[in-house]
Amino acid sequence: MVRHVREFAQAEIAPLAPQLDRKPSFPWKTLKMMGELGLLGILTPEAYGGAGLDMLSYVVLLEEISAADASHGTIMSVTNGLPQQLLLKYGSEAQRQRYLPKLASGEWVGSFCLSEPHCGSDAAAMTTRAKKVDGGYLLSGTKAWITSGGEAQLYLVLAKTEPSAGARGVSCFAVEKTEGMVFGKPEEKLGQHAAVTTTLTFDRCFVPEENLVGSEGQGFSMAMASLDSGRIGIAALAVGIARAAFEAARDYAGEREAFGRPIREFQGISFKLADMVTKLEAARLLTHRAAWQQDRARRVTREASMAKLFASEAAAEITHHAVQIFGGYGYSKDYPVERYFRDARVTEIYEGTSEIQRVVIGRQIFKERVR
Amino acid sequence: MKIITIIKQVPDAEARLHPAEEGIDLDGVTFVIDGMDEYGVEEALRLREQGFDAEIIAVALGPQRYEEAIRTALALGADRAIHIETDTVLDPITQAKVLSNLVSEEEAELVFVGGKQADWDSAALGPALAEALGWPHSDWTTKLDIGAGTLTVTHDTDEGQEDLSLPLPAVITTQQGLNEPRYPTLPNIMKAKRKELKKLPLDQWGGVQAKTAVVGEAIQVRERLNRVIEGDPVEAARELVRLLREEAKVL
Ligand SMILES: Cc1cc2nc3c(=O)[nH]c(=O)nc-3n(C[C@H](O)[C@H](O)[C@H](O)COP(=O)(O)OP(=O)(O)OC[C@H]3O[C@@H](n4cnc5c(N)ncnc54)[C@H](O)[C@@H]3O)c2cc1C
Repeated sequence: MVRHVREFAQAEIAPLAPQLDRKPSFPWKTLKMMGELGLLGILTPEAYGGAGLDMLSYVVLLEEISAADASHGTIMSVTNGLPQQLLLKYGSEAQRQRYLPKLASGEWVGSFCLSEPHCGSDAAAMTTRAKKVDGGYLLSGTKAWITSGGEAQLYLVLAKTEPSAGARGVSCFAVEKTEGMVFGKPEEKLGQHAAVTTTLTFDRCFVPEENLVGSEGQGFSMAMASLDSGRIGIAALAVGIARAAFEAARDYAGEREAFGRPIREFQGISFKLADMVTKLEAARLLTHRAAWQQDRARRVTREASMAKLFASEAAAEITHHAVQIFGGYGYSKDYPVERYFRDARVTEIYEGTSEIQRVVIGRQIFKERVR
Repeated sequence: MKIITIIKQVPDAEARLHPAEEGIDLDGVTFVIDGMDEYGVEEALRLREQGFDAEIIAVALGPQRYEEAIRTALALGADRAIHIETDTVLDPITQAKVLSNLVSEEEAELVFVGGKQADWDSAALGPALAEALGWPHSDWTTKLDIGAGTLTVTHDTDEGQEDLSLPLPAVITTQQGLNEPRYPTLPNIMKAKRKELKKLPLDQWGGVQAKTAVVGEAIQVRERLNRVIEGDPVEAARELVRLLREEAKVL
C-alpha cells in the first residue's frame, strides 16, 4: 500500500510542489485524484464511502503525501483528521450519510474552525456566537487561520451557544459553504502556500438545527478529543517533510565535492546526517506508537502530544541541517530544501504550539502518574 | 468471456543496478510490475467498464517474488490470479508453450501481453504465445475496440500505423499509448489481499525444458562523454547538431 501511494505521490504531486510554492493555487486536480484513490477518507468506514483503514495506515500514507508536498499533506490531514473524525464520532446518522461520502471521495474538502484572530492557544476564549432562533442558530463572529478557507465546502465551526459558560458553552456546527460567509484574502505565509489559509466571518449566518454536531455545550471537549488524532496527523506530516529533507541532503552529500572528495566523507557532514536520520526514525516511531495505541482504543492525549512535539521540532532541525548541507544552493529556490525548511516551521505552531504540547504532556504526567 | 493478462516483474526503472562478478547484482533492488503489463490490465478493466462481461485473470510465470506484481494486478482490479512458480529462467518460446497450456485450460478468449519485458527487451512473448495457440495477434497495439466476436485494433509499424480487424480468440501485445493505467485505490489494495491467487508448478502440463540457457549477462554502463564544443556559437551549434545526428543518432 505504501509503495503504491509513494509512486502516486512522487509521480503526480511532487513535480507540482515548486510551482505551487511560487504561484499558489488550491490543488483541486490532485486532490480529486487523491479522493478517487481513497486518500481523503482513509479512516472513514467503507459504508460511508471511505477506505476504512486504521490510524497506523493513515500516518504512513500521510507521511508519503507530505514528503511529496506539505501543502497537500496539510489539506489531507485537516479533512481526514478533523471534520470526518468529528462527524464519525459525534455526528448524527443523517449528518454522516449526508457529509461523509462527499468528504471521503474528495468531492468536497472539509475545514475545521476553532482559532480566532485574538485567540488560538486559549481557544475557549472564543467570541464567535451561535444564537438560538426558530429552527436553528444564527452565527456571528470571525474565525482565523482556516485551512482550505473559501475552497472547502464543509466547515466544522466551534461557537458559543452559552457565552457565560466558558469552554462548556461551546457547541459545534457543520456549516455548508453559503453566501452569508465572508472569507478574507489568503494569508501570505512563510510556507505551505497551496494550503490556503483565510479568515472566515459570519454575520448572522443561519445554520439549521439539524447541523448541530453532538449536543449543545459539548463542542469544546469534542474538539479537544479530535485534536488527539489531529496531532498524530501533524506528527506524520512533519516526519514526511523531514524525510524529504533528509533524503535530499543524503544524496547531495554523495554528489557534491569539496577539497577533492564528496562532502559526505567529512565527519562534520556525516555526523549531521547521522543525527538527522536518528531523529527522523525516533519521530516516526513516536508517531507510529501513538497511532497504534489509538487503534487499540486507548487514550492517547499524551502520546499524541509527544509525537507532535518531537516530530515537529525534529522536522525543523532536520530541514535546518539540510539547508546547511546544501551550502549556498540550500538557500536557493532552485533546490527543494529551502522549501522544506519553510514548510516544516508551521508544524510547531498549528494544532497546538510546541508550548501547548508541553503544557498537555506536563499535565498528563500527573494525571496518568507516568513512570 | 475470460481475459488473461500476463504479468511480469522487473526492477524498478529508477533502481540503480550494479554489474557483479557474474551478471547483475540485484540485491536491494525493488521490483515492480512491468509498466508494459499495466497497459494490458488497464485495457481489460476498461473493456469491462464499457459493459463488456469479462472475468479478468492475471497470470504470471516466474519466481516467488513475482507475487507482489501479481497483487498489484489484483489491486488494479483483476478478479483472480494464477502463478506458475519457478526459479528456472525460461526463454520466451518456452514460456509461450507453458502459458498456452494454461490459456487453453482456462478457455480464455483474449490475452494481453506487455510489449517488451522491460528487463530483457525480447518483445517475443506475445507473438510466440499467439503462434503456440494458433491465434491471431496484433503487436505494438495502441488502440483497441471490441465488437461481436472481433477486435479492431490500431498498431504501430516501422513506417507508421495500421488498422487491423481480427477474430477472437486473439493475443494482443500492448504498448505505451494504448491507455493511461490507473493507480490502485486503497480499498482495492486491501481487497487484493483476499483475492484468489492459485499456484501451479511449472510441470503442470508435463516436463519443461528451456530451449536456451543464459551463460552470462552484462549491463550497459553509460558514461558521460564530457565533450565541450569550443569556438564560435553558430559554428558550435552546427557541430552539435552534426554530432547529435551522426554520432549520437538521436536526431
Ligand atoms: C498555516 C496555519 C494553518 C492553520 N489552520 C488552522 C485551522 O485550519 N483551523 C484552526 O482552527 N486553526 C488553524 N490554525 C491556527 C493555529 O492552530 C494557531 O495559530 C495556534 O493554535 C496558535 O494560536 P495563536 O496563533 O493564537 O497563538 P497564541 O495562542 O497567541 O500564542 C502566542 C505564543 O504564546 C505561547 N503561549 C500561549 N499560551 C501559552 C501557555 N499557556 N504557556 C506557554 N506558552 C503559551 C504560544 O505557544 C505562542 O508561542 C492555523 C495556523 C496556521 C499558521
